Amino acid sequence: MPRTAKPHSSAILTATCMLHLLLCVGAPAASAASLAIHVQKKDGKPLVGAVLTVAAESPRLPPAAPTHAVVDQVDLAFVPDVIVIPVGSTISFPNSDAVSHQVYSFSSARRFQLPLYRGKPYPPVTFDRPGLVTLGCNIHDNMLAYVVVTDAPFFGRTDAHGDWIATNIPNGTYRVTLWHPLLSESGASVERTVHVDGTERAELAMRLSRALRPAPISSRPHSWDY
Amino acid sequence: MRAAPLVLLASVAVAHATDYELSLDLRAVQSDGRQPYLDRGQGKLRYDDNDDGLHVGRFRAALNQPLGEVFAAHIEASSWGDDDKNPIDLTEAYVEYRPYPRAGFRSRVRLGAFYPPMSLENRARGWETPYTITPSAISSWIGEELRTVGLEGQVDWLGTRTGHVFDLQLTAALYGWNDPAGTMIAQHGFVFSDRQTTLFGRSGEPRSDKLPKNELFHEIDNRAGYYVGAQVRYLDRVVLNGLHYDNRGNPAAYDPAIRDFAWQTKFDAAALRADTGNGWTGLAQWLSGETYIAPAGMWWEWEFASRSVLLAKRYGPHMLAARYDHFEVEGQFGDEEGHALDVCYSFEPNARWRVALEWLRVRSNVETRAGLIPAQTPLATESKLELSVRYTLEGVL
Repeated sequence: MPRTAKPHSSAILTATCMLHLLLCVGAPAASAASLAIHVQKKDGKPLVGAVLTVAAESPRLPPAAPTHAVVDQVDLAFVPDVIVIPVGSTISFPNSDAVSHQVYSFSSARRFQLPLYRGKPYPPVTFDRPGLVTLGCNIHDNMLAYVVVTDAPFFGRTDAHGDWIATNIPNGTYRVTLWHPLLSESGASVERTVHVDGTERAELAMRLSRALRPAPISSRPHSWDY
Repeated sequence: MRAAPLVLLASVAVAHATDYELSLDLRAVQSDGRQPYLDRGQGKLRYDDNDDGLHVGRFRAALNQPLGEVFAAHIEASSWGDDDKNPIDLTEAYVEYRPYPRAGFRSRVRLGAFYPPMSLENRARGWETPYTITPSAISSWIGEELRTVGLEGQVDWLGTRTGHVFDLQLTAALYGWNDPAGTMIAQHGFVFSDRQTTLFGRSGEPRSDKLPKNELFHEIDNRAGYYVGAQVRYLDRVVLNGLHYDNRGNPAAYDPAIRDFAWQTKFDAAALRADTGNGWTGLAQWLSGETYIAPAGMWWEWEFASRSVLLAKRYGPHMLAARYDHFEVEGQFGDEEGHALDVCYSFEPNARWRVALEWLRVRSNVETRAGLIPAQTPLATESKLELSVRYTLEGVL
């Protein structure tokens, strides 16, 4: 488990960054080949589903290889509603609902529109610039999803325990960026630099200093218009 | 690109499918209400003490037809199970233009007949309230007398799509064909009814054996009315809505064909709704306005106002709601004042079924009741217990 701190990593550094996020780095005295990150909300409970990207500052590393992903539309919602992909990846947007949807993004990282459709009539959309892409449906205003397009070599999302581990990281200096759709901070992004040095695991603990925004209300009765 | 023609074909093929919805809402009623406003009375309820038993509360058919890429036509037709002029008739029919959002802004244009965007209560399909069977005095009045027959434009700033916590919406409309609006307030004040007047139907009381009920959607003075509104939303939790409405009626204009004036009706309305993540809803509504006619050089005036608060709690498919209304009219021929309490339990297990049980009590002091034949006491307490069972079928044509 990433939170099983070794004795030499007990010297926890505490810092508050300019975006009021409390970051703690467990700096290994020896070496590490993996980076374990634990993210807590302000109340100390794990932050589930946070997007973490680990960009190499030195040495420079290329982005992760592009992949293909699927964002479905089920019961008037995008599934999943948050996804992180390497730059150059593609996403298919099938519509599994009986009603038609119209997918759009006006985010600068990728502007596109999928005209009104059911089923799977369109080829995948390519995301070739890093950044945050917000998706909506022009028919159903409550539908909202996020695509995080990253040029970092390592990325992932925290699990139900607030943990995520990047493995096989070459020695070097990395910039860890945290993002979550409910972060209170405007700009919604926090960063921390971490050094990976050796063959053992580096650990990073992050704790939000502000409460999350309320999550969207789900499970409204079917007959409600909005 | 080889795929392009296929994509185009596919989009054309799927974009023109029609969504439909059919629903039947049956009611079992036990009421001690006085002779209702729809039947030469001054009772405040849709069903009176002669109406105990089963009724068709509403039969509804709705169509949504995309027209190309960013236009769509919406048609709502209903039958209310009574002796209206047409057995089934339209409540709304309009074409909507919904261009794609650009740079955080979005616009909407509606042309046709539709409700002004002022009820945060009637948020369910078919302009129904999901909280109770019978809507508030304010929503009942809108459903009975108001319809925008004209052109409405909206601009949204989509803050929540660009990293902020607020959205903002501005609305403006120009309309006609609603000059009789105000007649019902003058005739019977506020009422409590889920019956919506249809575009070619009638409401109110028969004015004589030869003169039928009122037709409310006519143009009489050839002057356009307007409304302007604003809405602020905090995430999907809190909505604050405001509207200023003025039909700019010429109160001296008279249409002998329907024997009604162009009522000059204007009002301000505001509403605040808050939803919580654990199923609570709080809703407050306020409306204050006035309406005039000027028959034969005289000046007749009615001032009206209402406020209501609602609290609801959802437990999965179950919901409990309670609403309190206060209403008053200072009328040319007498005043009214009253209040109402509505408690409703509803169960909506899936997309097809909804069952609701409502108890509604209205206590009102209506001075014109003394002038009825035979005369009634102005003060009345009316209550009803109503069970609604609604079945909905939806699909694609």
